[in-house]
Amino acid sequence: MKGNRITYFLLLLAGFLSAGCKNVLDIDSTRTVGEKNMWNKLEDTRAALLGTYSLTRAALVDNNAFWIYGDVRTGEFSSPTRQDLKAVINNDLNASYPVLDAMSNWRRWYAVINSANIFLERVRDVKIADPRYTENNMTVDIAQVRFLRAFAYFYMVRIWGDVPFIITSHDGSFENKPREDKDKVMVWAEQEILKAAADLPYKYSANDIQQPGRYYNEDENRWNGVLARKLTAYAILTHIAAWQGNYPDVAAYSKFVVDNYNKGGNSYISTDELCSSGGFFNAKKYNHLFGFNFDYGHQDGSFTGHLEELTLAEPVVNKSLPDIFMTKDSILSIFNEENDERFHLDTLGRPGVERYFSNFNGKYPIFSKVKVIMDGTTDPSFRLFASAVVFTRLEDITLLRAEALAVLGENQGAIDNLNTIRQLRKLKAYDAVVNGDLLSAIFHERQRELMGEGHRWYDLVRYNRLRPRNQKFIDLIARNGIYWPLSTTILGQNPALQQNSYWK
Amino acid sequence: MRVLLLTGFFLLALCGNNFAEKVFFQQDTTRKDTLKAVDLSQKKEALFFKGLLPKSVSKQPADLAIYPATSLQQALKGQAPGLYVQEPSGEPGTVQQMYIRGLSTPLLSKRDVYQVQPLVVLDGIPLVTEEHPFAFDIQQYDYNRAGPATNLLAGVDINNITSIEVLKDLAGIAYFGPRGANGVILLTSKQAGIKRRVSFNSYFGMAQRPGVNTINGEYENNFRKQFYDRYTPNGRYNDDDVYPLYLSDSLNTAYYGPSNWSDSYYRNAVVYGIHADISGGSERASFRFAVGNVKTGGVADQTGLDKYNAFFNVNMKPLPWLQFSASVNGTRLNRVRNKNLRDRFAQMVYIPDLGAPLSPNKINYDAYLSQFDNGFDHNFNNLVQGQGKLIFDLGDFKFVSRLAIDYNEGFRDLFYPRTLMEGNSYASNYYGFNQRMVFDNFLTYTHLFNKKHLVSAELGQSTQWDTYKYNNSYAYKGVNDFIKINLLESDPNNGNYLNPLAFPKPLVYKFLDRTKQNLVAFYAKGSYSFDEKYTFSLLLREDASSNAQPTSRWLFTPTLSAGWNVKKDLLAGNKFISDLNFRISAGRLGKLNSFDNYAQGPQYTADAGFTGNLTAPGFNAFAVLTRPYTFGWVGYGIPWAYTDQLNVGFDFGLAKSRFRGSIDFYTKNDKNQLIGVPAYAEYGYSQAYEPGMNVNNTGVDLLFSVDILKASKKGFGWTSTLNFNLNKNRLKALPGGRTELVIGNRYLEVGQPIDQYWLLQNQGIYNADKDVPQVNGKPMTYSGIALHGGDPVWKDLNGDNRIDQKDKTLMGHILPTLSGGFQNQFSYKNWNLGIDLYFNLGRQLINQEMANRFNFINREGTVAMTSVKEITYWEKRGDYSKYPLYNPWSTVIPYRSDQDLFLENASFLKLRTISLGYDLSPLLKKKGIERIYIYGSANNLFTITPYTGQDPELVDYTGYDSGYGMPIPKTYTLGIRMEL
Repeated sequence: MKGNRITYFLLLLAGFLSAGCKNVLDIDSTRTVGEKNMWNKLEDTRAALLGTYSLTRAALVDNNAFWIYGDVRTGEFSSPTRQDLKAVINNDLNASYPVLDAMSNWRRWYAVINSANIFLERVRDVKIADPRYTENNMTVDIAQVRFLRAFAYFYMVRIWGDVPFIITSHDGSFENKPREDKDKVMVWAEQEILKAAADLPYKYSANDIQQPGRYYNEDENRWNGVLARKLTAYAILTHIAAWQGNYPDVAAYSKFVVDNYNKGGNSYISTDELCSSGGFFNAKKYNHLFGFNFDYGHQDGSFTGHLEELTLAEPVVNKSLPDIFMTKDSILSIFNEENDERFHLDTLGRPGVERYFSNFNGKYPIFSKVKVIMDGTTDPSFRLFASAVVFTRLEDITLLRAEALAVLGENQGAIDNLNTIRQLRKLKAYDAVVNGDLLSAIFHERQRELMGEGHRWYDLVRYNRLRPRNQKFIDLIARNGIYWPLSTTILGQNPALQQNSYWK
Repeated sequence: MRVLLLTGFFLLALCGNNFAEKVFFQQDTTRKDTLKAVDLSQKKEALFFKGLLPKSVSKQPADLAIYPATSLQQALKGQAPGLYVQEPSGEPGTVQQMYIRGLSTPLLSKRDVYQVQPLVVLDGIPLVTEEHPFAFDIQQYDYNRAGPATNLLAGVDINNITSIEVLKDLAGIAYFGPRGANGVILLTSKQAGIKRRVSFNSYFGMAQRPGVNTINGEYENNFRKQFYDRYTPNGRYNDDDVYPLYLSDSLNTAYYGPSNWSDSYYRNAVVYGIHADISGGSERASFRFAVGNVKTGGVADQTGLDKYNAFFNVNMKPLPWLQFSASVNGTRLNRVRNKNLRDRFAQMVYIPDLGAPLSPNKINYDAYLSQFDNGFDHNFNNLVQGQGKLIFDLGDFKFVSRLAIDYNEGFRDLFYPRTLMEGNSYASNYYGFNQRMVFDNFLTYTHLFNKKHLVSAELGQSTQWDTYKYNNSYAYKGVNDFIKINLLESDPNNGNYLNPLAFPKPLVYKFLDRTKQNLVAFYAKGSYSFDEKYTFSLLLREDASSNAQPTSRWLFTPTLSAGWNVKKDLLAGNKFISDLNFRISAGRLGKLNSFDNYAQGPQYTADAGFTGNLTAPGFNAFAVLTRPYTFGWVGYGIPWAYTDQLNVGFDFGLAKSRFRGSIDFYTKNDKNQLIGVPAYAEYGYSQAYEPGMNVNNTGVDLLFSVDILKASKKGFGWTSTLNFNLNKNRLKALPGGRTELVIGNRYLEVGQPIDQYWLLQNQGIYNADKDVPQVNGKPMTYSGIALHGGDPVWKDLNGDNRIDQKDKTLMGHILPTLSGGFQNQFSYKNWNLGIDLYFNLGRQLINQEMANRFNFINREGTVAMTSVKEITYWEKRGDYSKYPLYNPWSTVIPYRSDQDLFLENASFLKLRTISLGYDLSPLLKKKGIERIYIYGSANNLFTITPYTGQDPELVDYTGYDSGYGMPIPKTYTLGIRMEL
């Protein structure tokens, strides 16, 4: 009797022991996608491609880096209360503030590069596994990813100079790489983008010869200004050549953009469009020659990662003091021409228009050129912004073209291009007597037109290379002080790296 | 391997056929088919291990219940050597942490804290002690976990508990598997007897409003003026300098008027507890049913916790060889949370303009508080723990099968009206559950051979399924303040079906997340005892976790423990030594990973966000997949982490047990642990999770009691009990043979403790530029910035005329080196007086609150958490005169908190409880009352400490006193215990 029971229990126990272990233990995480579930289908490449875009956007706007690098560092803005921005303005880039440390860290750019490297290594797996993924789709995807990777290198070289050059994923066998010469990296980036440009269409889902049919089965509207296009590539090539000081190439690349902008759905934009809250910076559009949107309707609006976070304050939004503002004297010296639609004073000394600056007569004039509050309302109560981060637009390329032509001695061409922009803003045509030196006038126009769009610092570097007059700046350029220091976090991880000499 | 072992034990189990149970326990005279026999069989198990485990808690649960605790942690604080309880806030019902025998891993985030929490077992149910920290992944700020953030161990009513054991060494914890690797707190509930009993416990009392010194704008203005006088020519440091508006106008009564906010913020709060139970039964079946309600009012910010508890257990013996027992513990926790600005802004992920802080004036402050009346914050948990156990009693063989479930759900429904935030309303709904299901089966065999050789074998299997889930949604800017929930279009025919109506669709955010963790274990245990003199026990386990990588899913671990009853063996005739027992245990036990990410190896996730906007949903309204660059690289080849431990202990009793106690020496090596190593930035990763961190903890636990005056019927009795834990931790290895690691503001160095601060050494002030040391005409720099007059003198350790990370040293300890309690129990006739002291020694903290106060220049006027000023900003805490007047505008940030200027000794001695009781039983015995006891207690009466800040206890795992901890109040209670 007892023996039987024991046997029965033993059998029962043995049953429990052997059954179901594997089912219990093998769980696919619902929170992350393991390697085996990735790179199997077309949706995976779409997610990875757009993931690379999202990483680029994150790298650009993290801690508002794009504007701190490009606009705040020039010292043309002041900061009433933010000690970290004051340090940037004073070129104390070593100061120990969290934001400055993040600015000195290139990790987010290398995330873009790593994401691109993995994409390029794995995309063919999807081509094999999913018949829906066409050859053309893959070609266009690869071109975009190569473009983004090269753009990341270009961006980093402008910030840090020499950077480690890594174009494979090294998954699981990471090596600490030393820095590569910045000029070599730039040459590589230029070549990459040229190759990508050959495969990129002017538009997506618009029956472009290089991208026939619906891209990822979405209509043209969905991709409007979202992805890198042929003109985008040439616009960035223009910037690369300009940074290299290779002005013949600037002229050549910019010519492509200026000649073909109609094909890409681009146009010159009115001042009203530029500055209205629901205008140029809102949502996504072809006129973002290279831009990353934060479409409010897509729930992409955010509290940070926008110029507005730095510049806006009372009365435009509920915030007592702006993080940065421009003093009245500076404003008046920059906007010193009559009837400038962006900003000018009327004959009584009152602001004629308030497109660029609000509250001009208050203690803090508010730089309100970009003010996409939520979906472009004027409601000051909620500081959620949806402006796109626009790296370049047609006006920028036109002025770069003017700059190149001026440097190359083709003054008339330069003046024509300059006047294109001046007319757009209702200024009189360029007059050497009134406006002075042509090159300076072009840079002056860039300063006004592109204020708050992350260009000014690089403009100053180029200008001071062309016209070495400011001793402090000459010194900065000579000693590589135009670059940012490297974060101690980065230096601590990778012994092959050295701090930038200027910041040692 | 596994199969072999199992076969071996089956054979061992089968070969014994001589059943002689009664010989083991002479007292076992009851018939086998009654419940009493079952009780004894449980006791037998306990007796069997007695030689292997020490006494671990200084008091009985009934005595612990004198302290009006809301949580298990509070009840156990200072009562069990080796168990350290952190109570970072006196706010009732907030999360508290426990650490058993030091730290096995550096605490760098709340994830790490979660990973080292001990297991709490209630009647065989391994409880979910804390909500899973995976919700932090989408949180901008980690002050509180999303949801109710309530202490789940508040669900244990100590009145239902008959015994508490804190298991610390492998002899005790290995049985519970990897979940118990951080130590186990074993709770056993009261069981019913045959006699019908009704008992009633209640206390009523008051938590006393703390006395504070308040300050107003004038005080703050004068404080700041010193800096302006010293470092500015005309009251402005430079042209851009802005003096805060709220301090500028001395006629503004909101800031310059009376500072009497504390009348609205602090209060005397009511606390009470009421508990009743009934139990009874027959020879074959018994039950116990208990209900309780505890209300704990917080003394600050109108906080409080209200808990309702019902407990039911039943034992049945339908057949002589079959027993069934079941218990259910259900709790409802309603928590009224604080109204901190910080916590509110963190919840909203939105910081409004901070130009005007809360006014210290009561009228203004009341007006602010009244705005909350139009909103709500419903914060509650429902907890159910249940288990059913079948015991098949086949003489020497027993087979036990148990199904246990712990299910708890948390809710937080929140609405902030527009007036609270610049015209933007906010609604949020959170629902989450944590569920653990356990299915255990084991077979035991126990037999005594020749009246001397006691042999026991156990073979078992356990499967555990954990699921953690939450839904969280929030929305901004509702159409008005009357619709307080996120209404959706409910008409399926409407094109707008299921879209939000009251809140704008783009401002409604929804998050779902779920994670699972399953465990499977097989174990075999063999024990042998010779004549109660020598005891040996060997436990072999094979554990698997779904969070371990597939290639190393299983881990085999052995534990061997032995006991030697010296008294019985050698000293039987010794009059002085009444008890002496020697114990040793050694072995290995696996440690769990709480996150399923690690099991996946290289993986993809949506990492589209950036600083300040973690939850970017995707790109162009498409879901994206990227490597988890922000989280960090996870590769293949991550093995199980495990802990190797050795414990040697003695239990002794001298002079008829007048002196008695236990002392345990231990060393623990936690090996192969994962740590996020900052690395591979050039591949996009913020860090890489690599295995190979080894940490050693070595220490002593002591529990020692002396009957200074032996209690007698008529005379005085006085018993003193001292318990403490002395612990030292050391980092033994880092992944990849590294010898050091910098992670944020922490520095880990092999050979050094893992709970130290990494600080600059402050040596005063440079009064003028010329005082700054110069080398080759260049002044000393701090991270590249030249030091000036008004900057601190930081010690240049490496003499390179540069102050940087290399000049920081490891100092202090976040956790105490020595902590414990000292209890004194006096008795006279029916009177009873108890005095409980709690102490920490060798612990330091950073007075961050003071650093913040002095660093006002960097904490003013920006829209950031650093500029948030709570109402308690208007309370004077700390000693202002301790700190030099540095130039607060300097970009070296002279009042940075990573310097020893703010490091303070946080050792303390607290009077935790003083209680006086009177036993009325003898007077009332004839009237049918079994026992009646009345008592009064006063708690937290004083703290002796060199610390100049608020209270050295009110610090979280970082060791930085942010000033956010609410005071642990002085509480006075009157109570009664009755048994009918």
